[in-house]
Amino acid sequence: MSNDVWIITEQKEEKLKKISFELLGIGKKLAEKTGGLLSALLLGHGIEDLAAELDGYGASKIFVCDSEALKDYSNEGYTRAIVDLVKVHNPSVLLGGATALGKDLYPRVAARLQTGLASDCVGLEINDEGLLLAERPIFAGKVLVDTITPEARPQMACLRPNILPVPEKGSEKAEIEKVAVELQLQDLRATIKEMVKTAGEKIDLTEASVIVSGGRGMGNKENFKVLEELASAFGEGATVGASRSAVDSDFAPHDWQVGQTGKVVNPNLYIACGISGAIQHLAGMRTSKYIVAINKDPEAPIFQVADYGIVDDLFKIVPLLTEEVKKLKAQD
Amino acid sequence: MEITREIFWNVGHWVRWPVYGLGLIVVIIFVYGLIKRIRLWRMGKPENRYDQIGKRITSFLSFGLFHGRILKEPFPGITHLFLFWGFLVLLLGTILIFIQEDLTKLLFGTVFIQGSFYLLFSFVLDLFGLLAIIGVLLLAFRRYVLKPDRLDNKPEDLIGLILIFLVLITGFFNEGVRIAITRPDFERFSFVGWEISKIFFSPEANLSSVKTLHAISWWIHLFLAFGLIGYIAYSKLLHLITSALNQFFRSFTPQGEIKPISDIENQETFGVAKLQEFTWKQLLDADACTRCGRCQDNCPAYLSEKPLSPKKVIQDLKDHLTSQGKNLGKGEGEKEQITPIAGNVVSEDELWACTTCGACQQACPVFVEVIDKVVDLRRYLVLMESKFSSEVKLFFKNMETNYNPWTIGFATRADWAKDLDLKILAENSDVEYLLFVGCAGSFDERNKKVIRSLVGLLQKAGVNFGILGTEEMCCGETARRMGNEYLAQILMQQNIELFNKYGIKKIVTMCPHCFNTFKNEYHQFEGNYQVFHHTEFLWSLFKEGKLKFKTSVDMTTAYHDSCYLGRHNNIYDAPRRLLGSIKNTKLVEMERNREKSFCCGAGGGRMWMEETLGTRINHMRVDQVASTNASVVATACPYCLTMLEDGIKEKGMENNMAVFDLSELLEKAL
Repeated sequence: MSNDVWIITEQKEEKLKKISFELLGIGKKLAEKTGGLLSALLLGHGIEDLAAELDGYGASKIFVCDSEALKDYSNEGYTRAIVDLVKVHNPSVLLGGATALGKDLYPRVAARLQTGLASDCVGLEINDEGLLLAERPIFAGKVLVDTITPEARPQMACLRPNILPVPEKGSEKAEIEKVAVELQLQDLRATIKEMVKTAGEKIDLTEASVIVSGGRGMGNKENFKVLEELASAFGEGATVGASRSAVDSDFAPHDWQVGQTGKVVNPNLYIACGISGAIQHLAGMRTSKYIVAINKDPEAPIFQVADYGIVDDLFKIVPLLTEEVKKLKAQD
Repeated sequence: MEITREIFWNVGHWVRWPVYGLGLIVVIIFVYGLIKRIRLWRMGKPENRYDQIGKRITSFLSFGLFHGRILKEPFPGITHLFLFWGFLVLLLGTILIFIQEDLTKLLFGTVFIQGSFYLLFSFVLDLFGLLAIIGVLLLAFRRYVLKPDRLDNKPEDLIGLILIFLVLITGFFNEGVRIAITRPDFERFSFVGWEISKIFFSPEANLSSVKTLHAISWWIHLFLAFGLIGYIAYSKLLHLITSALNQFFRSFTPQGEIKPISDIENQETFGVAKLQEFTWKQLLDADACTRCGRCQDNCPAYLSEKPLSPKKVIQDLKDHLTSQGKNLGKGEGEKEQITPIAGNVVSEDELWACTTCGACQQACPVFVEVIDKVVDLRRYLVLMESKFSSEVKLFFKNMETNYNPWTIGFATRADWAKDLDLKILAENSDVEYLLFVGCAGSFDERNKKVIRSLVGLLQKAGVNFGILGTEEMCCGETARRMGNEYLAQILMQQNIELFNKYGIKKIVTMCPHCFNTFKNEYHQFEGNYQVFHHTEFLWSLFKEGKLKFKTSVDMTTAYHDSCYLGRHNNIYDAPRRLLGSIKNTKLVEMERNREKSFCCGAGGGRMWMEETLGTRINHMRVDQVASTNASVVATACPYCLTMLEDGIKEKGMENNMAVFDLSELLEKAL
């Protein structure tokens, strides 16, 4: 049994997801403690170029599993590719993202490897005995528990996205190893025939790091453009959401809805524009890291949960914010 | 001349025995049909509906015989009354003749239908026969010309109406022909027959051909009448029996009470998957339904174009009952193929559309119960199949972890009261009343204002009360109505333990849903308390002079009845009287008020689900408020408050009206 730490990256349509880098960051720290090496696992088809992007974040080895059978994510195919490789190299720690994909994939992987799985972790470290200590919330966040996997190997954990920073890219080079994947497309019992997308290119609300949300204060559908402009100024990872009443008034489609009966979101930054903050809405976004509220009504309940509140006309404030964000981004 | 008539005149006395033989066969056919249905009801589980016999008889008399609820809608009510009583009196007349001919005359030689009694008898029978004809014609007119939306037409409706009409018409025809031949002057009392006789009477008429006509019409009348009796047991006309039984066996428990799944820890199945898991009374309900559609006319889900119609649900269950009945008694050896009712006979969308507002049950002339079936079927979906929407899942999860519907930690439940210096029972349980705040009052900014107003009023009146603070949990009402009985019972039992720990005897609630559950359901788990909703409680404080409303509030207000306060608990007057006691406040009524009040759309767990189908119920209610021109709509329920306020905002009517809880208005009037 090695002391190696493995992380499983995530890509979709030949683009790496942010969680991959967050995992590399924490993986590097853990590997320093265990004294082992950090390896990253990349699965997909036609993804050789992506391996280079992972370079420089502390991984000494990048395993590339490139196969037609792995082009689209499938629980079955990915599980087999991961399990086969893990059984050969026996890493001590195996990390993945607690993303939609991760929540589907890793329970099966853990079961196949006959090991435990700490799901949806908010903190990872190595304890004095050299074991992976995974911190995860239970009872809807009322309690944090530390979980260890004392005997079974690898020690598996899934990291919640947007918790840890993306590390700086360094210069160290990783060895890129192409793995021969035996799996064939016809081995899969279920394959994806067609992907039907809704609402264009918009990223999923639950995965966004910045959400600019509008309420009935937006007045109409067209006015949501100012929110889209602000979101696009933030760049990748930012998107637009809406309150239930905005959706009800047909200002925004239903899959934008944040709240009790919409999506429950957890971004780093939530900007509520013209949203009064009915409890139904608060229930869906109150756990965001930073909440900014812009509303004309100083009595609006949204200010009760906001970290920063601006009592003014959103149509005045939002364009100003967009300008400022653009300036800041230009300095980067 | 003796004032009477000869029974079996012209057709010959020999017909007596073949007619009675035929009658016996008809009765056997009728009874056989009835027994077949009774056997279907007996598939159900036992349920005790044999208590309070006196009340049950009264219920049958006032709602069955005297049409108590049927008459609430005058046109269909009175026409049905005509038909019903017309036929009943004709039946009684026939029975009297039977008694005379086969008992008193045979045994003692006594004939009592004669003299002035005969005249009365003739007059009354003709009168009621005429009423029955008027009734049947008007009912047919309504069904086939006016065509109200709530009536659907099946062949049995037409056959029934035609049969009844023909029996009546041939009866009068036969009477007319008889009088035309015999022509005694006293038969003027048979005033319908007398008029008809004029058609056939002429001094030159060929007596024997008219006599043949009489004999033929006599036999036609007889066969039609017997045919009708036989037909009853195999058609909707059986509601003569089933609806009467349903009125007799109706529930006397509060309408807001939902029966528990008892001994839930040891159950292996939950809710209702198949008919056998309903009680016999629930199955009788299906047969008692006459498809009159009054439920549908009052159902907020149906009226807002949801897939639910209570009538359709009950009728689908009846069809299912009939088709299942065909397999009844067939070999047990075959493996039973269970098609769960939920999702097959009644769709999931139908089940989740119900707000449990009870308008259907209140409107039903024959006391068909709907809410219990919806909840039983939801229980199956939730507890057996885990089939529910993601919103419902979030609701259950929040309830399980934080004992409130939102994703908010339970530790902040009493934050609203931090600055109020209230007694918290954990610190000081020397109180007369527990003020049960409820989830909305504890967490929702808008409803926090309401609970603060209520607290202000209670303090003003010098009431010794306390709150449970962070120990309070959801009362379990919504979880129960969403079919999660397990979760509901956990919440209920934990609250009961808490209440008992502090020796609580009296509870005041802000929310009608908490109120209903404490009052009508907590006794199921030995939690017996005196429970008051704030409207009732404030009214009694006002009456005792502990509260005085001195400030005038100039407004026109419409009071919106909460289903769980009004229909389910009969509290209609206290809130109206309270509003009436505010100076310069004018109270107006919406068209749908009191027992016909229109749900806000949030009951039965609907508050926590998306309303994606049809029109929004709260928008409809806001329109109904708007048509009264009231500037303020008063409520006494946090659900109603939220729904109406959302509706007003969504319709952009903030400048026309505002919604307040009663206690907020009363606080202004102090």
